[in-house]
Amino acid sequence: MHHQLMQPHAYVALRLPSDSLKVVELVPNTTISIGKYGSFPSNLLLGRPYNLTFEIVDKEEGQTHSNLRVVPALELHSDILAEASSSVTSDILDGKTVIDGGDGVEYELVGENGEILMRSNREIIDDPSRQKLTMEEIEVLKKEGTGAGRDIIALLMQSHTAIDQKTAFSLAKYTLRKTKKYVKRFTALQVDVPLLTHYLLSEKEALKTMELREELLALMGSLANIHYSGPSSGYGADGLIDGVGAGRWLVVDETGGLILAAMAERMGILYPADDGETDTPQPPPSQVTSAEATPQDSQSTSHPAHYHRCLAMSATSNTLTLIHANAQPNLSLLKYFRYDTSVRDVDSSHPLHTHLKTLSWLQLLSPHEDTGYTEPEVIPNEVLQAWKGGKRGTYFKKRRRWERIKSVVDETRAGGFDGLVVASAMNPTTILQHTVPLLRGAAQVVVYSPCIEPLTELADLYSISRRTAFAIDPPMSVPCEDFPLNPALLLAPTVHTVKARHWQCLPGRTHPVMTGKGGAEGYIFHATRVLPAEGKVEARGKHKRRKVLKEHGANGLAENEAALGGGVPCMFDGVCEQSEEGARAYPQQ
Amino acid sequence: MGTAQQRSSPFLDPGPVSTADSLAILHLKRDLLLPTVLSALDEKCEGYDEGRVTNTRFGSFPHSTLIGLPWGSQVRASDVDTGSRGRRGAQQNKKRKRDDRLVEGNTAVGEGSSETPTPKAPVAAATGFIHLLPPTPETWTASLPHRTQVVYTPDYSYILHRLGVRPGSTIIEAGAGSGSFSHASARAVFNGYPACESDGTSLAKKTKFGKVWSYEFHKQRVGRLREEIRNHGLEGVVEIVHRDVCEDGFLLDHSYREPENGALEQGEALPLSPQADAVFLDLPAPWLALRHLTRKAMPTTVLNAAIASSKSQTPAPTPRNPDGTNDENNLETNAIHTTSFTSPLNQHSSVRICTFSPCIEQVQRTVSTLRQLGWLGIEMVEIAHKRIEVRRERVGLHEEGARGVNASPATVDEAMERLREVESRFRLSRSAMKRQTSLGKPTDEDIKTEESDTITPPTSALLQPADPTTNRNARKAFKEGRLIHRPEPELKTHTSYLVFALLPQEWTPEEEARARSKWPIKPKQ
Ligand SMILES: C[S@@+](CC[C@H](N)C(=O)[O-])C[C@H]1O[C@@H](n2cnc3c(N)ncnc32)[C@H](O)[C@@H]1O
Repeated sequence: MHHQLMQPHAYVALRLPSDSLKVVELVPNTTISIGKYGSFPSNLLLGRPYNLTFEIVDKEEGQTHSNLRVVPALELHSDILAEASSSVTSDILDGKTVIDGGDGVEYELVGENGEILMRSNREIIDDPSRQKLTMEEIEVLKKEGTGAGRDIIALLMQSHTAIDQKTAFSLAKYTLRKTKKYVKRFTALQVDVPLLTHYLLSEKEALKTMELREELLALMGSLANIHYSGPSSGYGADGLIDGVGAGRWLVVDETGGLILAAMAERMGILYPADDGETDTPQPPPSQVTSAEATPQDSQSTSHPAHYHRCLAMSATSNTLTLIHANAQPNLSLLKYFRYDTSVRDVDSSHPLHTHLKTLSWLQLLSPHEDTGYTEPEVIPNEVLQAWKGGKRGTYFKKRRRWERIKSVVDETRAGGFDGLVVASAMNPTTILQHTVPLLRGAAQVVVYSPCIEPLTELADLYSISRRTAFAIDPPMSVPCEDFPLNPALLLAPTVHTVKARHWQCLPGRTHPVMTGKGGAEGYIFHATRVLPAEGKVEARGKHKRRKVLKEHGANGLAENEAALGGGVPCMFDGVCEQSEEGARAYPQQ
Repeated sequence: MGTAQQRSSPFLDPGPVSTADSLAILHLKRDLLLPTVLSALDEKCEGYDEGRVTNTRFGSFPHSTLIGLPWGSQVRASDVDTGSRGRRGAQQNKKRKRDDRLVEGNTAVGEGSSETPTPKAPVAAATGFIHLLPPTPETWTASLPHRTQVVYTPDYSYILHRLGVRPGSTIIEAGAGSGSFSHASARAVFNGYPACESDGTSLAKKTKFGKVWSYEFHKQRVGRLREEIRNHGLEGVVEIVHRDVCEDGFLLDHSYREPENGALEQGEALPLSPQADAVFLDLPAPWLALRHLTRKAMPTTVLNAAIASSKSQTPAPTPRNPDGTNDENNLETNAIHTTSFTSPLNQHSSVRICTFSPCIEQVQRTVSTLRQLGWLGIEMVEIAHKRIEVRRERVGLHEEGARGVNASPATVDEAMERLREVESRFRLSRSAMKRQTSLGKPTDEDIKTEESDTITPPTSALLQPADPTTNRNARKAFKEGRLIHRPEPELKTHTSYLVFALLPQEWTPEEEARARSKWPIKPKQ
């Protein structure tokens, strides 16, 4: 049971006292430095569990390195627990006292009999001169390294002349502030998708990941119905398309791989087998085996199918197919999960090696313009035998590459995908035009956009009135001016947004956090791929209306418009809107 | 349990087409979904000529028209004689039609009719249709029979994401309630069926299968849930345990022991541990369940303190063994009952927890108890979700007569034109009145006015209400007006507060010593 322990070369996030994150690769036998908090040997983290909080213990005389001490949970909570057990704060929890805190900054605590238990901090003048210890003195104390900063805090508290004037409320705040500044503690966290999302948003350039937040990613994963669907789950083997199993999702990801990682995490194919999850579903050997092409493979040209399935991108179910706009996909964030596509020898035991398939838009839409799709010349076996090993190797490599590209391109063009997830700067209309037809019926479509406009445009192209117009008078071909997309292919398009509001939860001081990030709100377009019935299909519930309208001299078309347009949220019901009137009329028929 | 052939769950892999005796979702229209078990036979003997039929406000759908179709298909209604069958009077029929959406389509149990029907081939109706969808946790949550409050999609998505629940994880859930969260959890943990995989005899690595242990103390709900889990093909993935978790904790008795499931390997005599990686508590008093979620036996003082700090007026209830008997050792003393302690948590990994409570007071009690029991990384979050309505807003005088539009002037020019028109009409009628009343000859002024009126006719194309019969064909309302968006009128502004926390695995000095010898620090670094 080692998978919760830190592995060599794993990326680990260190949460520092300032609450910021530092992500480091755990290279054995090196020193990890966390700035002003100090440094320590990487070997002190290797093989240890995640989520522990360590304190850097300054090195003693004669030692070559500083040590790490695991800080027990109760010590971490000691300040808050002590505070909570004081009568004042526990009374707050009892609800016997009243907090009258107008704007959330100034509080007055009134007891049962109306006596003031806690003074408002209005009376306390915040005067830095009350702190007797100078900055220089603090620096000296820090250098002397007496007990990792806790002594400093104690000294600071003692030297504060106005300490007794401080209310418990501001004292708690004070302690907290000082703690963050001087204690040399950090917590070692596993880099998983939630953490990475948080990290990229707060520490790195949020724009590169399209300002995606955890709650948006989570909702996208659900709406797209992303989950493990391995060969063992029943019908898998005989999917819609020959040789293609269940659980295939199509992805357009321009976030550097964050979307892809989130999906892979839900499918159980994100973490290398030796750490993250030993419980990673292991496909039976018949489906996907080691991606390594055995030497024997390169010997035989007679059974291309044999080595074919052992190669990269060869899995038949539980797969992600990524369409990219540049010659090579940008998946740089996958390195945090130890899948680095930029290096020559990618880790072929990583589940993504077989389960992630990539192709470019050119390969998808016009494969014959792509050189990779053109079959390399076939060399007869006799000739091959005469070739030198190196030359022969190159030949086989070329053939394998072509076979891989061809199979990925062909199977993608054949469609039958279970869902589509898009996060791209490209116009989503153009993406959906080419990808929605590749989805099987009931597949889920999810498009993310940091701002709403591209999604309202999309929703408008699938609006009920447009769909009605399309059904009544279908154009010669799609796309056309009025119908850039076939509006009959998606059901119940909906635009969502979701936001997490974080709270501070301290004894007697529970309130939403006071500051946050602006920027993109983040929106999700969601719809279901459907298979329209052949021929015209009329919604129920129109006869009555039509009659009424006819009396007013309207024809059928006018009725449709009147029934569907305007005041009611018209985009949501498609042609399938069948009015309430219809329901009531029905039993009388 | 122990069924010979495991059916694949339509939630996890619906297959290419709908099948009989499997759950399908009939999508009537947006937000109106009807979960229906498709059935080739008229088991309920309702006496329709077409066999089993589901009636909706959009028409009747014989199941024979729904089975064997590719998922996502649009299906036309059929003409079904709903009036003349068997003993079902028209009255009862009508009444059902008027019922609300929950009752709608629930093919009510009819009295047994003796004839064995040979199903008639359905005839397509002129109007009405539905879409046939496979069930997903989302469509199920939106359509399930509500027995309790449920956790909806935005919340459960975030919770499962943050709890790190992934294929192969084990999650404890209490209470199961209506099973909304259970279904979402099942999808998240699923990595194959224990039964199916076991025939792959010599798998080198023993796969740990994902599992949802779902606790509920309400007996009827337990019954309904078990039935649903069976009907949904989720047996082996979700296990419903009938239990008061605040009193009796989370350990399992031996009836839950499954030899094929590697998760449960304990000594014979001890209660079994679900070995949870994650915990979700949707209970009125989650803090009372927390004392059963520790890694070690806790001294009763700590437990008492934890309870007291959460200001429960009742003294800490005596911890009980899962069989419901009191453990004598715990009654009086602070003795740590190490001898027989089994933790319900996975001792080899960090465990994450989420509690879901609507009130801030519940949060405060929970948070303070979590701290006492050594949970870390305590956080509280609220999830605000909105659906955005997108539509075309049409404004203008020419819209008059159309529905759902704003038939007021779209521009100042339009307003001016209308005002001029009104003005001139007014003048016209005034002069007419004058003519009528004045007995003398019209004055010069009157003549002048009359002239000007005839010169400017009060009609302009713009101000005519659109004549639908003439130019509706040419109009393309779907791209007229301005594209606008705004939150849908009904919002859920508060669901619950989500408290998250984490319990790292225990790390003993012996383990630390082992790690140190495995990763020695070389002097030269
Ligand atoms: C709000 S419902 C849970 C809904 C569920 N999360 C869902 O999504 O459908 C709460 C459930 O907890 C159950 N419950 C309350 N206290 C319990 C206890 N001590 N042990 C077990 N179940 C309990 C109730 O019977 C109720 O069904």
